[in-house]
Amino acid sequence: MSAFLQAVVSGLVTGSIYAVMTVGMTLIYGTLRTLNMTQGSMVMIGGYVAWMVFDGLGWGPILGGVAAAVVGFAFGVAIQQAAIRPLIGRRGVDFEMTAFISTFAVAIVLSNVALRIYGARSKAVPPVIHGRLHLLEGISVSWHSLVMAGIAVGTLLALGGFLSKTRYGLAISAVAQQLDAARLMGIPAQRVYNLTMGVSSALAAIAGVLLASVFFVSPNAGDLPLLKALIVAIFGGLGSVRGTILAAYIIGLAEALVSLYFGVKWSLPLLFLSIMIVMLVRPTGLLGKPEEARL
Amino acid sequence: MLEVRNLNAAYGQTRVLEGVDLTVAAGEFVVVIGPNGHGKTTLLRTISGLVPTTAGEITFDGERIDGERPERIAMRGLVHIPQGDLPFVDMTVEENLVLGAFPADAWRIRAERLERVYGIFPLLADRRSNRARTLSGGERRMLALGRGLMREAKLLMIDEPSLGLAPVIVNEVYQHIEQIVATGITLLLVEENFSHVQTFDARVLLLESGRVVREGLVGDLLADEIVMATYLGT
Repeated sequence: MSAFLQAVVSGLVTGSIYAVMTVGMTLIYGTLRTLNMTQGSMVMIGGYVAWMVFDGLGWGPILGGVAAAVVGFAFGVAIQQAAIRPLIGRRGVDFEMTAFISTFAVAIVLSNVALRIYGARSKAVPPVIHGRLHLLEGISVSWHSLVMAGIAVGTLLALGGFLSKTRYGLAISAVAQQLDAARLMGIPAQRVYNLTMGVSSALAAIAGVLLASVFFVSPNAGDLPLLKALIVAIFGGLGSVRGTILAAYIIGLAEALVSLYFGVKWSLPLLFLSIMIVMLVRPTGLLGKPEEARL
Repeated sequence: MLEVRNLNAAYGQTRVLEGVDLTVAAGEFVVVIGPNGHGKTTLLRTISGLVPTTAGEITFDGERIDGERPERIAMRGLVHIPQGDLPFVDMTVEENLVLGAFPADAWRIRAERLERVYGIFPLLADRRSNRARTLSGGERRMLALGRGLMREAKLLMIDEPSLGLAPVIVNEVYQHIEQIVATGITLLLVEENFSHVQTFDARVLLLESGRVVREGLVGDLLADEIVMATYLGT
């Protein structure tokens, strides 16, 4: 019983981080209608930022998160300008597919640039805080995980507030749901695309900081997170923010429980199996919506 | 306020507008009437920048706007209430309205504007926290009109406010349009059916096959038997 509860606690922590990592992918799919394959690269870049600021500057996790968010935002805007914008509205070009390929190309370039700068050797990022919190007899959670989950949940709440309360946050949903109407109201589509890519990339970079001390930071540290993000995003129903967050927690929990009862090596295969079943039963994902309704 | 000269527009190879001339003076009420599929909606969409021009000029408030992005044109004070209403379906009525006040100057006074729109459309106030997708056709039309009133318009363009609504609801919508006209706003309205606008004191253009074939005051056209036979079936 206590092993089960222990797995639930760690599943919730992982789920929070998955949510932060994936929700950006959802925002981009909602507004730009393409899969952003650089989402994993931003996790990798966030990891390197964490390594540099924790190790080199001695900053704490919150400042590290802020630094990673700023760097991620800048990368996101640059990628939107360089690799996505030129493809929008081209006659006879399938935007969804070309933007998918072009962001994938950027992802490959970024991991090779990281390899060139930092080398192939993984960087270890120490946990920001040591010790464990004992919840019940036999169930404990490391303070580090709690801080990370706290930052993740705080980030999600801030994102929710931004999307539902602020002028540009609402504009993101407006562009996602009805582009023509949004433009007729003076909402600048390109600026919203930049903002969406910036925010999404910042979120992935924050996830990178949170994951940095769990996994080692290396040039391909973003590959597995990208795969997981794709699974979570598809499972949640592409384009639905609520569905994504729900899916992130379900998958985080499922992974922890599968690892507990069947062993870690089964967690990815079973994840893929369950996603295949979900796709067969419910092709739009958990909370997937029809084409005209996004975010 | 608006001057359109020799406007041409096309969807791919299909020419839709073939040399339309149109002016709307400040404070004027102009109606474009024409059968479906003859370019009325395209005319409005071309003016607001959603459809590119293939030839001709559009001048708004003294400046050329053809070739500009729709969001830039909107910021100049052109409010276009589009065909099909185009609500943000997964947002609440209130969020939809608030987005109508997106330009910074309107955003600052959005609470005030919201009260005004709720005053005109009490029905929207009742449904303010409902998602737009749950609204009926008539309610969606009110929402589209309300959203258009959330910011100051130098020119208001309304695309076929009667489209797809039951006659009773159409009357209700036109009562609201009368209220809007009474404010003295510069208004360009598109309608398929002449009967909805025959009580207004407006200048009318008849658009057929992408060309303006007739122009005159409502009274002149009412006196024209051929026009009446074509557009009212009398």
